[in-house]
Amino acid sequence: MIEVIKGGLETSIQDYPGRIGFWDQGFPQSGPMDSWSFRLANLLVDNSVGAAGLECQLMGPTLKFNDARTIAITGANMTPMINQQPIAMWRSIKVVAGDILTLKFALDGARSYIAISGGVDSEPWLGSQSTFHKASVGGITGSAIKDGDQLPLGTANEFISQQVNPELVPPLTTNKQWEIEVVAGPNDDWIDKVGHQRFLESEWRLSSKSDRTGFRLDGPDWTFTDKAHNKAPEHGSEPSNIIDHGYPLGAINLAGQTPIILVSDGPSMGGFINPYTVISAAFWKLGQSRPGDRYRFKQVTVEHAQELRRELDNKCQNTSLIGEK
Amino acid sequence: MIYPQAKFSPGGDRYILIEFGNEMNLELNFLGQGLGKVVKISGLKGVIETAPAFASTLVHYDPDVIRYQDLVLELKRLIKGLGSIDDIELPSRLIYIPCCYLDRWTAECIDDYREKICDKTPDAKMVAQLNGLSGTDELVRVHSGTEYWVASLGFWPGLPFMMPLDPRSRLTAPKYNPPRTWTPKGAVGMGGASTAIYPVATPGGYQIFGRTPVPIWDTKQSFPEFEQSICLFRPGDRVKFVPIDEKEFVDIEQRVADGSYVYNVVDYQKFSVSQYQKWVNSLDINKRF
Repeated sequence: MIEVIKGGLETSIQDYPGRIGFWDQGFPQSGPMDSWSFRLANLLVDNSVGAAGLECQLMGPTLKFNDARTIAITGANMTPMINQQPIAMWRSIKVVAGDILTLKFALDGARSYIAISGGVDSEPWLGSQSTFHKASVGGITGSAIKDGDQLPLGTANEFISQQVNPELVPPLTTNKQWEIEVVAGPNDDWIDKVGHQRFLESEWRLSSKSDRTGFRLDGPDWTFTDKAHNKAPEHGSEPSNIIDHGYPLGAINLAGQTPIILVSDGPSMGGFINPYTVISAAFWKLGQSRPGDRYRFKQVTVEHAQELRRELDNKCQNTSLIGEK
Repeated sequence: MIYPQAKFSPGGDRYILIEFGNEMNLELNFLGQGLGKVVKISGLKGVIETAPAFASTLVHYDPDVIRYQDLVLELKRLIKGLGSIDDIELPSRLIYIPCCYLDRWTAECIDDYREKICDKTPDAKMVAQLNGLSGTDELVRVHSGTEYWVASLGFWPGLPFMMPLDPRSRLTAPKYNPPRTWTPKGAVGMGGASTAIYPVATPGGYQIFGRTPVPIWDTKQSFPEFEQSICLFRPGDRVKFVPIDEKEFVDIEQRVADGSYVYNVVDYQKFSVSQYQKWVNSLDINKRF
C-alpha cells in the first residue's frame, strides 16, 4: 500500500491503453498522456507495459510506502527524492517500508510517471483503472489522488536492477519548441489552400486553457473553402460548424477559430471540423509540453504515421533496457 | 443530400471517418448506425470500435492488423449490404424529460461567458431571432413541441445528439465561437439542427436555453433506468421535453437527491419509418404550431 501524504497538483491513476470500446457512448480512452515514458516505467519494475501507475502533472506528490517495492520514475524531471535524497530517473529503484518519495515542480516537460512493482490495484471501471476525473470515474475515488488517500498495490515482483538505454529516453525539449506530426483530415477539404499553408508554416502557442480533455492553441486565423460557407443550415452557420460527427483521438478540432487538440480525456463527438489529426506516435510530445510552449506541425502520410507508431511500440520493449549486476 | 458513394477520410493513423451525406435526416442516421451495427456483427478484423453519428460513422482500427486501404474495401462491402430503410420498424422508447426553459442557471453561464470571453446575443434570443420566431416564448413552444430522435451518444458520456421528428419544430443555430469553458450540468441546448442535454458540467459549443434536473447518466446506477447501462439514452429512443418552472425544477432536484424521483419512460411503441415518412409528407412544414 501507498499512503498519499501530498497529492501534488493533479496526480492520477492511469493504465495503458485505457478505457477502450465505449467511444459510441461518449467515454474517452483516458490513459497516460505520454505513454512512451509510462510504458518504460512499467518495464523497469517488471510490470506489463499497461499496468496501472501514477501520472503526475507539473508538480508531483509525496508518497509513503508501507512495504518493500521496486519503483521507477520516468517522464518530466520533478527532482525525485527518497527520504530527501535525490534518486535517479529512468531506472529501477528499491524502496523499503517507511520510505518517503517526494516529487517537486517539473524542471523540464510536464508529466512524470511513477511505476510501482505490482501496479496500483484499484477496481477497474468499464475495463480500465484509468482516472477520468472530469466525469469522476476510475482511479480510487474517480478523481486525482488526494492527501490521505491509500493506494492498494498488487503483488510485488522481484527487484531487477536495470535502466533505460540513455539513447532511447524520450528527448524532452529544452527550448520549448516541438515538432508535431499530423495527418491531413478527416475534414481537410473545408480549409482553403492558404489556410493549409498558414497552419503548416505558423508557430502555434499552447494556451494555459488546456488540460487532459483538450489543448487549446493560439495562432493565426483560419480560412475556408466554399464547402464551409455554403452548406445546409443544420451544420450551423459558422464556417467551422459541421453536422455532429465522431472525433478521432488527436484531432485538431477547429472550434470557431480556436484549434483544440483533443487528447486523452477528450470528447468523442461534436459539431466542429477536424482539418488535421495528431498521430499517435506524437502524443508523448503533447503530454510533455506546457502552456506557452510552441508547436510546429509537420504533415505526414497515413502510412508514415503508422510506421512511426510501430517504431515507437518497438522502443517500448525490454530491449530498450540495460541490465546491471 | 445523401452521397451516391460514401466518403472515406483518414483521422490520423488509426481512425477512418465514413460520411454518408451532408444533411440531417433519419435515413442518414440509419446508415451511420447501420454500419456501426454490421461492423460489430461481422467481427471485422482489426476494428476496435465505432462511433456512429447523424450522417457518418467513425471507425477506430488497429493498423498493425489491417491497413487503411484494406479496411476501406471491407467497409465498402458492408455498406453495400445495408438494406433500404423503408421497411425498418424498431422498438423505440419515449422518455419524458422535464426541462426548465429560460432558466437562471444557463442565463448565469451565458452572462459569465459574455463578460469574460466574448460579448454575444444571449442564446435564447439569438436562436429565436435567427429562426424568425416572435420571441423566446415561441422558442420554448416550438422546441418543446416535438419528439426528438436520439441519433447517437457522444461528446461526453451519455450525451444524446437528437433531431426533432416533427419538421415544424426544426430550428438551427450557430455553435459558439470560441466555445464555452463550462456549461451547467443538465443544460439543454442546440447547435446546427441538433439538440443535446449536457450530462455533467463540461465545456460546450451549443446555444443553451434550458436545464433539466434529471440525471441522464449515473455511475452509481441508483435508479432502475440505469441497471443495464449507466447512460439513460440509447440510439433509437425518442425524447419529449416537458416545460417546468423553477419551483418544479427544485422540487424534482430534491426528489432525485432522495431517490424518490420516478423516470417517465414509455416502452411499448414501435417506430415505423414508412408510417413516419407518410406523416411527414402530409405536413405543411412551413407552418409552426
